[in-house]
Amino acid sequence: MFFLGKKNKELDKFADLLEQGTVALFNERGDVHFSKEPSKTRRKIIEFEGKMRADGMEKYDNEPTYVSAVNFYASEKDMAQKKTLGALIIYVQQDYISKMMKLLKYPPIDDESDTAMQDSCGTLCNIISGRFKSEISIAGYIELEMSHFINYRNSAFAGVDFCYNEFDMVEVVFEIDNVRRLVMDMTMGAVPRLKTK
Amino acid sequence: MEELNHGKILVVDDSDLERELLIEVLKGAGVQNGFLQARTGEEAIEILGTHYKEVGLILLDWQMPRMSGMEFMEAVVKVPQVANKAIIMVTASGTDENKKKAWAVNPNLVGYVVKPYTPESLLDVIYPFVQLKSSN
Repeated sequence: MFFLGKKNKELDKFADLLEQGTVALFNERGDVHFSKEPSKTRRKIIEFEGKMRADGMEKYDNEPTYVSAVNFYASEKDMAQKKTLGALIIYVQQDYISKMMKLLKYPPIDDESDTAMQDSCGTLCNIISGRFKSEISIAGYIELEMSHFINYRNSAFAGVDFCYNEFDMVEVVFEIDNVRRLVMDMTMGAVPRLKTK
Repeated sequence: MEELNHGKILVVDDSDLERELLIEVLKGAGVQNGFLQARTGEEAIEILGTHYKEVGLILLDWQMPRMSGMEFMEAVVKVPQVANKAIIMVTASGTDENKKKAWAVNPNLVGYVVKPYTPESLLDVIYPFVQLKSSN
């Protein structure tokens, strides 16, 4: 079918906004600087039973990983009807999550508690998603609605909601001290432009 | 607005870490008020139902499962006994549009803090509504 693989031209722009917001957030919050410019790679979404596959272990050479996801919607009505416009999934290796939260000046977490580790990953996903949403709005698009975070260990077993019209996502990889420390998958449908008067 | 400074502070956030951080920052700044905690808007409603006389200030996240911060405020403003409780939004959603929405739902909203916040920016908004160690 001709529409398979149709390219969402704005996805790269949203990936730039995600990168820009995340870098600013880490600089402001914890004076954390990434080793180099984050890498951004377009990939095909792997769909399973209407959801997007999100496997954390494959991001970190099969090391245990925490995964958190947030969805975006064009309006409150769409959110209530679960008409998903976008998804942001973040992956942090288990061994690094307490260090990352410490860098971001959060209180120490119990790194032997699965609940505390999941909560930390979700907290990180929430602040990154909030910043991303603001960057999108500042860039002249409508204000998106955002879901609360959902956390997983190793993989989102039931998958993550995404916009069914989309085929691509962008993987963004951030390195600290030249080691891959934060990976994100982001997909976004067509976000309407804000109407100017 | 009700008598604020001596009441307990109800912290509503689905992130355990964000609640812990908030309380740590406030205690570290010498805030003497007691704290109550809720993980969702629903839990916060339950707590308010039984402790509404004790609560002086509510610090409220927006994105939470089951009942969001906005849904919580929509419910609160309809109940005369709690409609005037001081509420400060503490949320990752920080655009002007979000702020307008929050004030439209609750015109009595007393502050809006965007996560991640610095202790200073949080305390600037919260000081008028809390009791400090040095104050009587």
